Amino acid sequence: MSSLGKIADSVDAYNAHVAAEVARARTDQKFAAELRERWARIHETVDWTVSPTGTPLPRLALPPTDDPGAIAEYLLGQGVPGEFPYANAAYREMYLDREVNTGEEPMRLFAGLGLAEDTNARFHYLGKHQKSLRLSTAFDGPTLYGLDSDHEGVLGKVGEGGVAIDTVEDMIRLFAGFDLTRKDASVSMTMNAPAPVILAMFIAAAKRRFGPDCVPNLRGTIQADMLKEVQAQNEVIFPIDASLRFLCDMIEWCVPHMPRWYPVSISGYHIAEAGATPVQQAAFTLSNGFTYVELLRARGADVNHIGPRLSFFLDCGLDVEYLVLGRVCRRLWAIGMRDVFGANAKAQVLKLHSQTSGRSLVAAEFQNNLTRTAVELMLAYLNYTNSCHSNSADEPFTTPTAKYATLASHGQSIIMEESGVFKHMMNMFGGAPGLMILERQVEKAILEVFREMDTLGGVLAAQEQRYQRSKIQEAGHNYEKQIYSGARPIIGLNKYKSDEPMPSVPLARTSPRKQRLQVERLQAFKKKHAKQAPDALHRLENVARGKGNVFAELINTVEVCSLGQITACLTNVVGKFRPMV
Amino acid sequence: MAAAQKPLSPAPLRILTAVPICDGHDSAVSTINLELARHSLEVIYLGYHCPVSTIVRAAIQEDVQVVGLSSYNGGHIVFFKEVVDRLRALGAGDIPVFGGGGGTITKADERVMQRQGTDRIFHAGTPLDDIMALIKREYGRMLKPNAKLRGDRALARAITLIEQGRIPSSFSLLPRLRKSSRSFVVGVAGPGGAGKSTLIDELTSRFLRKNPSGRIAILANDPSHPDTGGAILGDRVSMIYAQDDRVFFRSLATRGGLTGISAATPAAIKILKNSGEFDLILVESVGIGQESDPFGLFAKKRRLVDAMLFVLAPYYGGRLQLQKIGLLNGADLVVLNKCDHSMAHTARAEITARLEANGKGQRLFGTVAAKHHDPGVNALYDALAQLGGLEVTP
Repeated sequence: MSSLGKIADSVDAYNAHVAAEVARARTDQKFAAELRERWARIHETVDWTVSPTGTPLPRLALPPTDDPGAIAEYLLGQGVPGEFPYANAAYREMYLDREVNTGEEPMRLFAGLGLAEDTNARFHYLGKHQKSLRLSTAFDGPTLYGLDSDHEGVLGKVGEGGVAIDTVEDMIRLFAGFDLTRKDASVSMTMNAPAPVILAMFIAAAKRRFGPDCVPNLRGTIQADMLKEVQAQNEVIFPIDASLRFLCDMIEWCVPHMPRWYPVSISGYHIAEAGATPVQQAAFTLSNGFTYVELLRARGADVNHIGPRLSFFLDCGLDVEYLVLGRVCRRLWAIGMRDVFGANAKAQVLKLHSQTSGRSLVAAEFQNNLTRTAVELMLAYLNYTNSCHSNSADEPFTTPTAKYATLASHGQSIIMEESGVFKHMMNMFGGAPGLMILERQVEKAILEVFREMDTLGGVLAAQEQRYQRSKIQEAGHNYEKQIYSGARPIIGLNKYKSDEPMPSVPLARTSPRKQRLQVERLQAFKKKHAKQAPDALHRLENVARGKGNVFAELINTVEVCSLGQITACLTNVVGKFRPMV
Repeated sequence: MAAAQKPLSPAPLRILTAVPICDGHDSAVSTINLELARHSLEVIYLGYHCPVSTIVRAAIQEDVQVVGLSSYNGGHIVFFKEVVDRLRALGAGDIPVFGGGGGTITKADERVMQRQGTDRIFHAGTPLDDIMALIKREYGRMLKPNAKLRGDRALARAITLIEQGRIPSSFSLLPRLRKSSRSFVVGVAGPGGAGKSTLIDELTSRFLRKNPSGRIAILANDPSHPDTGGAILGDRVSMIYAQDDRVFFRSLATRGGLTGISAATPAAIKILKNSGEFDLILVESVGIGQESDPFGLFAKKRRLVDAMLFVLAPYYGGRLQLQKIGLLNGADLVVLNKCDHSMAHTARAEITARLEANGKGQRLFGTVAAKHHDPGVNALYDALAQLGGLEVTP
C-alpha cells in the first residue's frame, strides 16, 4: 500500500473517532460535563467588537448550542479556527479588523510583462497604496522553459505573458527600489522547472544589493511544483527523477538557510486550469504534497522541519464545490500529516494561497469577468485562504493592462475593507448545513481518488501510467462539451448573448525593439563572463554528476552564467524530459 | 472560395497539430484532437513546446494536408510567420497553416497573420462542429503525384499515394536520392506500453551519435479507431532525439488492417530502401503479442525485415502467457524493458528459459529505456549495429 491508502484509512479512522466521541458525549455524563466546561472556556476567550452601525458582535462565531454531541462534533470534526483539524481556518482571527489584529494582508498581485524594468514599474504602480510589500512575479515562456532570450525561435515570446529573466543582472533590475529585507516584504515567483536557477539568481541579486548576510531575511515563495508540471502544466525540462532531485536539493538548502522562505508551493491551480474538476484538483494537489513529504523524508529530512515550509495554491472557480474546497483540503492535510507522518501542530497546518479562475473568464462581453472574479474572491475568502490573487478581466486576450489589474486589486479591497463581511467576526459560516453536506461529499470523493491512485502504486506510479493526465483531460473535454451544449451556461458566450461587437481593448504586448534589447543585454553579459563561465559550468556539472547539493553550487554559477547556459549544462548531465501527452 | 470544386480525398484527412515553443497550454488542442479523430481525421500530434523546425519537418515528412497550431501565451504573430516562412523555404508553402488561441489572438492579429501567410484563425466561441466542418471542407483536398517534389517531400508523397492505393507496385517514379550500400530494416514489435517508442528514440540517439552523416527512417504504426476510422498518431510526440533532419519519421494509421501494421507499410519500406537514403529503417508495429505476424517472419517469402526486435515489459502476466507469445520464436533480439521494475528479476529468468528452449541462440537484453544513457540500451544498439553492419564508432 502506498501512503495514499494509509492516508485515506486514517481519515476514515478519524471520522469514526469523531462519531464515537459524539455518541459518547450524548451518553457519558462525565464526558458531557467536560465538553460543556471546555465550551464555556472557549466562549470566555472570545472578545467583542462593534460594527460601524453599532451592532455588538463576538470576534468569533461559535454554533449556538449547548448540546454536548453538537459541541463534540464542532470541536473534533471541524475545530475552532486555528485548531486541529483546521477545517475552519489555519489561524484564529485571519482577516479581522487590523486595529486589533496584526495579521497578514491577504492580497497578492501577480504581475509580469516585458523586460525587468517594465515589471518593476508595474510593481511600483500596484504597490503604491499598499502598506506591506507584496511582489508576485510571472515569467515569460522562454524563462519558464529555461531558455535564453537569444535561443533559436523564441524571440517573439520574449517578455510575453511575463517578464524575461536571463541573468542575475535582470533579477537586480526586477526588484530595484524595493527593500526586500523589510519585515513585511514578501516576494513570490511563479517558476517551476528552472526554479533552482531563478531562486539562485534572486539570492545572488539580493546579496549584491543588501550584503552577504541578507539571505535569512528574505521572505517569499517559489512555486517549484514539478509534479503538477508533469501532470498538467507541461513546463518540464529534465527527466522526472532529476527534476525532483534538483527540487529537493533546493528545499533542503532553504530549510536551514532561509527560515522565512517557502521553497515549494504545491499547486492545484494549473491542474484545475488544465481541466480538472474541483475534487480532482484537491485530490491531486494533496497527494502531490504528501509525495514531497515522503521524498524529503526518504532523503533524511524531519517532517517537523519541512512541514511548516510547505505551502499550497488552489484555483477558485464558480462550481459549487469551491464553497468548501479549502476547508476540506486543510482538514485532510492535517489528519494525514498528524496520523500518518507523525507531524506536530505547526507541520499540520495547510497554508493556502488562492487565485480566482482564469479558465472561467471569457473574451465575449469580457466586462462580466469582473463579476465572475468578485464571486470567486468571495468563495476564496469564505474558505479563509491565507492569501489571494484576483485575475484581471482582460486576461482572456492579454497580459493584464494597468487599468484592469487595478480593478482586480480594488475588487479585493472592496470585499475586505469596504464590506463588513470579513471584518468583525471570524467563522461566519463554519458548521452551516449546506457546507457540512458539501464537505462530506467532497471529502468522500477525494478519498476515492486517493484509493484509486493507491491501487496504481501511488502518485509517481500513477503519473507514469498517465492517470492524472488522462483524468484531467477527460474532465476538460467534458467541460468544453458542457459549454458547447449549453449545459454549462456562460453568460454572454452561450447564454444571453448580445449582438454588440467586441470592443477593442488595449493589449499589453512587448515590442520587438524591447525584445532585441533583452537579447543585446544577454549577449553583453555572456561576453563579459566568457572567461569565467566555462569553469563555473564545469563545477556545476561535477556536482550534478555526483551526489552534492546542486542548488548550493547554482548560487555561485549564476554570478557568471545565464539561465540558458545552465539549463544546457544540466541537460547534458541528466538528459531531457520525454513529453507526456 | 471554390470549395465545392476541390476534389476531396477518399482517404482520411491528415492533419498535424502542435503547440508553439515555450507554451505548455495543451488543454484546447487535446479537445480538438479528440474531436478531429472522432470526425474520422488522422491527427499527427506533436505536443506542446514545439520549435518551428520540428513542426515544419513533421509537416513535410507526414505529408499532411494542413497544420493547426494552438497558441495561448503570446508571440503568435512572429511564431506563425516563422512556420509559414520555413514551409515556403523548404518548398512546402502549399501546406496551409491555421490557428487558434482563445481570446489571445485578436481579429486585428488575424489580419496581420493572414497577410503573412497564415490561412485562418478560429476565435473564441467558435462551435467545435463548425471548426470540424470547415477543416474537412477547406483542407480535404486530394494529394496528387507531383514530379517537382524533392527529398523528404518526395518520399513522403510517395508513401501518401501508397496509402491511397494509387501506386500499388511501380516505384520507378521515384528517383534514387543517394547511392548507399543498403538499408538495414528492423521490425520492432511488442505489447502496448512496453516502451517501443521510447526504445526507438533512444536507439535513434545512438545511431545519430555514432554515424555522423548517416540517416535513419522510422515507420510508426498506430491503430485507426474501428468505428470512426480516425486516429491520433502519437508516436512522434514522445520522441526527443528523433526530432532531427537526419531522421525521416512517418506515422501510419492501420486504416482497418488487423495485421499489426498498415497495408501501406510493405511498399513504404520498399520506397525507403529504394531511395538509398537510409542506413537503418525501423518499423514499429502497433501493440501486439500473441497472435499477429506483422513482419512476415513465419512466411519466409514475404519477410519484410532483416531483423526483428521484440520488446516486452516485466508485467506480461506470468510464464504461461509468455509461452503463448509466438513472436518470441521469430525475434532476433529480445528486449526486456523497464528492467528496474520489481518483477524484472523473475521476468528475465523466465524469458531466458523460454529463449533457450527455442534453441536459436536469440539474445536477451535488459533495458531501462526511460533512463538517460542506459547501458542496457547501449549494449542493444551495439548488437543491432553489428547485426546490420552499421559502422560503430567507439
